[in-house]
Amino acid sequence: MADATQNVTLTVNGKTITAAKGTLLIEACKQNGIEIPAFCYYPGLSLQGACRMCLVEIEKMPKMQTACTTPVAEGMVVQTETEKVVQARKSTLEILLANHPLDCPVCDAGGECELQDMTYKYGAGESKFIDIKSHRDEQQWSPVIFYDRPRCILCYRCVRVCGEGMDVWALGIQNRGQGSVIAPNQGGKLDCEDCGECIDICPVGALTSSTYRYKTRPWEMTHTGTVCAHCADGCITTVGVRRSDTGSEIVRCDNRDRSGLNDDFLCGKGRFAFDFASSKERVTTPLIKRDGKFVAATWAEAVELVAARFKKAGASLGVIGSNHTTNEENYLLQKFARTVLRTNHIDHHRTADYPSFARAIASSKAQTASLKDVAAASAVLLIGGNPSEEHPFLAWQLRTAVRQHRQKIYVVNAAPIKLKKQAAHFLQVTSGKEGEFAAAFSGDAAALAHLGVDTARFDPFTAALASESSLLVVFGSELRGAGIDKLVATFAPKGAKFLCLGDYANSRGAADMGLFPDLLPGYQKAENSGLALPQMLDAAAAGTFEALWVVGANPAARHADVNAFAKPFLVVQDMFLTETAQHADVFLPASFAYEKAGTVTNTAGDLQRLKKASDVHGVKPDFEIILRIAEKMGADINALVPFRGYTSADAGQSRGPQSGEADRNAVFTEARGLEAKTSPLDPTITLEEIAQTVPGYAVSRLKLLAGEAQPTTLVQIDPAGIASHSELIVPARNGLYASGTLGGYSETLRAMGATHRAAEPVGAD
Amino acid sequence: MATLVNHPDEVKIVSRRFGQGAANIDRYLELDGYKAVQKALELGPDGIIAEMKASNLRGRGGAGFPTGLKWSFVPKESAKPKYVLCNGDESEPGTCKDRLIFEHDPHSVIEGAMIAAIAVGSHAAYIYIRGEYRYLLEIMQKAIADAYAKGFAGKNIFGSGYDLEVYWHGGAGAYEVGEESALMESLEGKRGVPRIRPPFPAVVGLWGGPTVINNAETLASVPHVLLMGGKAYAEVGVERNGGTRLFSLSGHLARPGVYELPLGYSLRKAIYEVGGGVANGRQLKAVVPGGSSTPCLKADEIDIALDFDSTMKAGTMLGSGGIVVLDDQTCIVKFALRTIQFYRHESCGWCIPCREGTDWLQKSLKRFHAGGGVAKDIDNIRYLAENMLGRTFCPLGDAAAMPILGFVKKFREEFEAHLDGRPCPFGQHDAPHALPVLSH
Amino acid sequence: MQLIQNIAAIAKGMSITFMEMFQPTTVENYPDGKGPMKGAVFQERFRGMHVLQRDEQGLEKCVACFLCAAACPSNCIYIEAADNTAEVRISSAERYAKVYNIDYNRCIFCGYCVEACPTDAITHGHGFELASYNATNLVYRKEQLLAIAPAHQGANAMFNASEPEKAKAQA
Repeated sequence: MADATQNVTLTVNGKTITAAKGTLLIEACKQNGIEIPAFCYYPGLSLQGACRMCLVEIEKMPKMQTACTTPVAEGMVVQTETEKVVQARKSTLEILLANHPLDCPVCDAGGECELQDMTYKYGAGESKFIDIKSHRDEQQWSPVIFYDRPRCILCYRCVRVCGEGMDVWALGIQNRGQGSVIAPNQGGKLDCEDCGECIDICPVGALTSSTYRYKTRPWEMTHTGTVCAHCADGCITTVGVRRSDTGSEIVRCDNRDRSGLNDDFLCGKGRFAFDFASSKERVTTPLIKRDGKFVAATWAEAVELVAARFKKAGASLGVIGSNHTTNEENYLLQKFARTVLRTNHIDHHRTADYPSFARAIASSKAQTASLKDVAAASAVLLIGGNPSEEHPFLAWQLRTAVRQHRQKIYVVNAAPIKLKKQAAHFLQVTSGKEGEFAAAFSGDAAALAHLGVDTARFDPFTAALASESSLLVVFGSELRGAGIDKLVATFAPKGAKFLCLGDYANSRGAADMGLFPDLLPGYQKAENSGLALPQMLDAAAAGTFEALWVVGANPAARHADVNAFAKPFLVVQDMFLTETAQHADVFLPASFAYEKAGTVTNTAGDLQRLKKASDVHGVKPDFEIILRIAEKMGADINALVPFRGYTSADAGQSRGPQSGEADRNAVFTEARGLEAKTSPLDPTITLEEIAQTVPGYAVSRLKLLAGEAQPTTLVQIDPAGIASHSELIVPARNGLYASGTLGGYSETLRAMGATHRAAEPVGAD
Repeated sequence: MATLVNHPDEVKIVSRRFGQGAANIDRYLELDGYKAVQKALELGPDGIIAEMKASNLRGRGGAGFPTGLKWSFVPKESAKPKYVLCNGDESEPGTCKDRLIFEHDPHSVIEGAMIAAIAVGSHAAYIYIRGEYRYLLEIMQKAIADAYAKGFAGKNIFGSGYDLEVYWHGGAGAYEVGEESALMESLEGKRGVPRIRPPFPAVVGLWGGPTVINNAETLASVPHVLLMGGKAYAEVGVERNGGTRLFSLSGHLARPGVYELPLGYSLRKAIYEVGGGVANGRQLKAVVPGGSSTPCLKADEIDIALDFDSTMKAGTMLGSGGIVVLDDQTCIVKFALRTIQFYRHESCGWCIPCREGTDWLQKSLKRFHAGGGVAKDIDNIRYLAENMLGRTFCPLGDAAAMPILGFVKKFREEFEAHLDGRPCPFGQHDAPHALPVLSH
Repeated sequence: MQLIQNIAAIAKGMSITFMEMFQPTTVENYPDGKGPMKGAVFQERFRGMHVLQRDEQGLEKCVACFLCAAACPSNCIYIEAADNTAEVRISSAERYAKVYNIDYNRCIFCGYCVEACPTDAITHGHGFELASYNATNLVYRKEQLLAIAPAHQGANAMFNASEPEKAKAQA
């Protein structure tokens, strides 16, 4: 391993370079702008030395050496591009290509294939060999993964990423010599999480996905880096979009450019479950219910009707927000509800006790952790939760940290979760009592009794934990209210950082933006508390509510009483006719995360920017829908969105299907120190307002625009008046094959789930 | 059971107990058995290594690395247990010497491994025997059990207070596992593929511990070195090549068999006197001097001494001591094809040059020998072999490339004789051939 | 001197004119000529409307690799790819072009697409009568561009006819 404290100096191609002792030659060269080609070497995975592409000449060594297995040494003299080296690489390519099918025009990897690139570079285009190539038929290993044996160059990257990276070990090698094949370890099918990392990491087109194969070519797509729409980890995903008759079609999600927190990691959901966007069930025109049936309507009709009914309803209106919509939308929604509709009956599906977390952090002046901190932490205490199932990227980071720098993980859980394997210490406690761990750690005997752990197991665990000098505390939704207070109070004095796990893409953002009846943005206490979600639904069922407005949520999935949705005038903004939307009086088709701009906050509080990647004709972002309703109600748009130079003509025009236009505008204006003032529909202006009004959100806009995750903080929040409502928290328990309501509309995700054991979601949103 | 052969020029050291029932431990004890290990316990590690260095004993597996030097690389202090490994995965075509040792003198291997263990401070020795030698495994199992029964192995050996466990392990049938790091992988229960070096086995080997790994014949020689004294052993051979070694003479010879000859013995004498000359009155065409992986020598190149340095000077290697003699009726192209078939079958598939190279060499040679050769094939075969040489992960690629390169260089005219659809000049077509349909 | 030179130059020029007057005409009588070509004559190399070729089995040669679209300087080629299945096989490789449009409003007949094609699927034919009163008619779909199916696939009834039927037809 590289030792940053000691440097060695070596000469590469006559250039003197310096690298940390223990660095591999290939990495040292890369850091100094000298590229050494390799197929099997992959940063972060174990060394293979199998492809022989990285051979270099090192003085005083009789044979050429592989740069990927040779650590740098003081005074080493290396030549990476001599005639001998180039000839060796060329001949290796030549014999690889001898049996590699030359079907580049058809192959999915054509255009982004490492073998193709190297053949271009070293020019082994003409084959010397005339014998017949060996052929094997293509195999389907899982609903999403296909393997084309002849294209495989056996670099074993897939085997290693599956085993070492994912800790799944579903792939192996069968036979030997020329007969070697990559094969699933269990029969002919993959027994795995369908994360698709193997496809992603494949340098050629041997592994392909059912969602992308034979659909398009890499250069035909528009690539936009945005934030994944599924879990609360907030991975960056590069959405590949091609034009289609419905506007545009998403054909691929990956993160090959290693942008964002997640490097090149994506889980199966993030990688494959995007097809709901072009689902046949998606509604793309506003619907108004007439005589119990939905009738297609124009936006003008629908918005007018909604505005009229909202005006009539006055404060007798409940608003249910979403944990998928952007911060700007959530902020605007609560601002609109509170200032225009003048109601505090606003809430959302809570999956974690963020208010208590904010109170605990602010009271103890503790530090919150960014997801970036996880990989670097030397020790992690994980209480509750199941990252392998619900936070795949967090689990990936923990595994990577254990593998690469022996991070110590302390797991306190009611079940032997998968991360137990990587855990340095594991403590199984009584289910539902995870919150008492902190008290027991502080020496509370009663709490220890509740945990159901005897001292023989508890003492070694706590002794080891207490000896850790720096600690990152990660806890799941099992911890609420006083449990969080105690935990933070216990470990904050040791300088620990804290991370609270919630469930959906913007749960944290929804909480931070004040989608609460009693809390304003930044967890500031509201003067009069409105009704919380269950009470709102009860009131609606009792007929007290004139109207109910559901923005991107599906409360009917968890709330059995149909009257709650049937009685009031129900307005639903969503993509599909969900259980809730079935009861709607007006349905407004909305865009989802990949189709709009804005920001989202992941569960660790990292603020990241959504970029518009695709578009579907007919639908509108929730931000625009809210503004249109406000405009029709005669509200002061300029007060809602502090946009200078507003004329009503601007509001009438959406930004059109060209993705990224608003973003480019924002980059341009930001870079010149100007305020974005093109249109009230540009959420950038609302972000500016959020930065000013929500404590902890005053992050670098430039870095945010550049695509960097910006950690927000909770420590400046005023903890006074933040009440715990533990009973309102319903964890979604989305496993690897569920993603709330949206996931249900993804055929790919359903197919993946059907072949694998899936965790039952408790409640969907 | 193989019939033993004899020749007056032989110097019987390793083979001195052959044919005397030494597989029986009591008989072995009568024949000075387990005396060397007791001497080793008296000498202590430094004493043993000094004797080994004085003996000029070089590894009998093929590479010829000085044994004493190898043992001295093992660190004295180690956090992890140290191991001694006997490489009995004898799979080199043309080589069948370890087999005789296991059959006739299994205790000498055990004793040698024990001495090595004492020399490096190890408390566990593994004897790895080739998977196909199933019947020898039974002999070895019995020998180890007998040694335990006598208290020679296990706790407190010979009452010295030194603990030393001896284990056996059977291979699963891979030539590749003859490579030391692949053997360790195999022993650990994994796929038999080589490891990245450095670290070398002497530092990080079996289960991460420092490991000495020696060929079975090397270890069988060790007790004799201690009993004779290193200096006396060295004097049997020539400079820097101490002692004797078992040469497996095979091919078109009148008297093939395994003979123990001192190092530095003449190759010509080995063929014409010890081996009885080319059988059936034919003329010599070529000799493969050290197992199938060594480049061949033509009939006029055999006036060399059989030691590591002389063979190296002649552009070939002493290798595993498997001398294969080819008479003038042998088709070199077919012999090359048969050789590459073996390596293609045994390539582990880990690295590209070996996996793909052996396959394309076989494809080309097969078509070539079947009469489908075109002129550029000869250069292509040579090109392939040249580009495998020194580029592969482990020596298997070199082992496959070197003989082919030798054949193409030295017998190009025989390759040319196969061109233009002409039948094999030696009539050695396997069967009427349907020529493969050529792509391109 | 100057004058003589001028007269000579005029005489030389006029002599060419007069010589050409008695040569047969090379002007094509399009569109009033005879035959289906209406008098139009082409060189082999003429780059006219594209033809999407088929292979010996009658399968489409196009595998939807998008290289023509990538090479096209006027961005006039639009392709949507789809997967061949065991039941419906359109091209010989895994993929085929479900949609293949060329927009002749934009095409400049440069031939780059033909050069880029790895399977020799797209070629320039001699089709040239592309004018239209409606620009949307100039977006040609795959069905309009494809070569006719070979005779044994039914395009030529004679090919599939039995021997007596052929004899009868000839008589």
